[in-house]
Amino acid sequence: MARQGYAFTGKSFGYVFQLAQPENTVIKMDYRKFRKQADFEDYRALFEDSGWRHLSGTKSSGYQYFKKAAENGDEDIFSDVDSKAARYKRLSDMWISLASAFIPIFAVLISTGSINSAALFNPKLLYYTPGLWEQSGAAFWRSFLFETPFAVGRGFIWLLIPAMIILYALFAFKANQQYKRTHEGIR
Amino acid sequence: MKRDKHLPLTETVYYILLALKEPAHGYLIMQKVEELSGGQVRMAAGTLYGAVENLLKLQFIEPVASEDSRRKVYVITAQGMDILRLDFERMNHMIEVTKAALR
Repeated sequence: MARQGYAFTGKSFGYVFQLAQPENTVIKMDYRKFRKQADFEDYRALFEDSGWRHLSGTKSSGYQYFKKAAENGDEDIFSDVDSKAARYKRLSDMWISLASAFIPIFAVLISTGSINSAALFNPKLLYYTPGLWEQSGAAFWRSFLFETPFAVGRGFIWLLIPAMIILYALFAFKANQQYKRTHEGIR
Repeated sequence: MKRDKHLPLTETVYYILLALKEPAHGYLIMQKVEELSGGQVRMAAGTLYGAVENLLKLQFIEPVASEDSRRKVYVITAQGMDILRLDFERMNHMIEVTKAALR
């Protein structure tokens, strides 16, 4: 991107780029969270001393982006395979803890009987408007469409929880794969 | 006698411990390691940060008070000194036997 004249300036919900002079640059990502602000400052100071400019990331954002700032500085933020791989390990651990955080919530939903499994096969059960299914024409459609978002919420919103568990577990698995691959020296 | 499970130290860990005989912050450690190793060991920032974190966990090094508000300063602990000596003796032994064998 930098070569095409787009400078990476930050990250919010997506990557933010700004028009800039085309340049050949090196941008590297680390994954780290910090307990204290002082730890984060110390971390950034070390990278700045070593010729990297901190582009994006906060104390607890995890993702930390660095841009090569010194002419004769290092080409990478890691100088051995172990530390390069350890970054993927931290990433994988984060996804695992995120996935496991949703497991108790899911368990509570199941154990309190909050999941209406009958509705999976008979979605009509999710509509509470009296006499809805006896109505016809425009009156039916108006009531039906009005209640549909609530019915979906009642019947299927819980699916988001297992979906997130699966998705996060998948990310963890992917990061772990990358960890192993890096460790074996295949990139 | 059972050998300490942290032995042998890696080349980088050995040089970091040696460098931390005197208190130093992250970047200074990197420079000292490069100097001590005669330019053989050049550590990148992310690698050094991880190594320092690990040595703190093992209690081979500890943070000390510093005047620098941003940079943390570390120094080797008694435990770190012990492990450094053990590894030095291990390597010394290798050198002795190799000298005798190759004579």
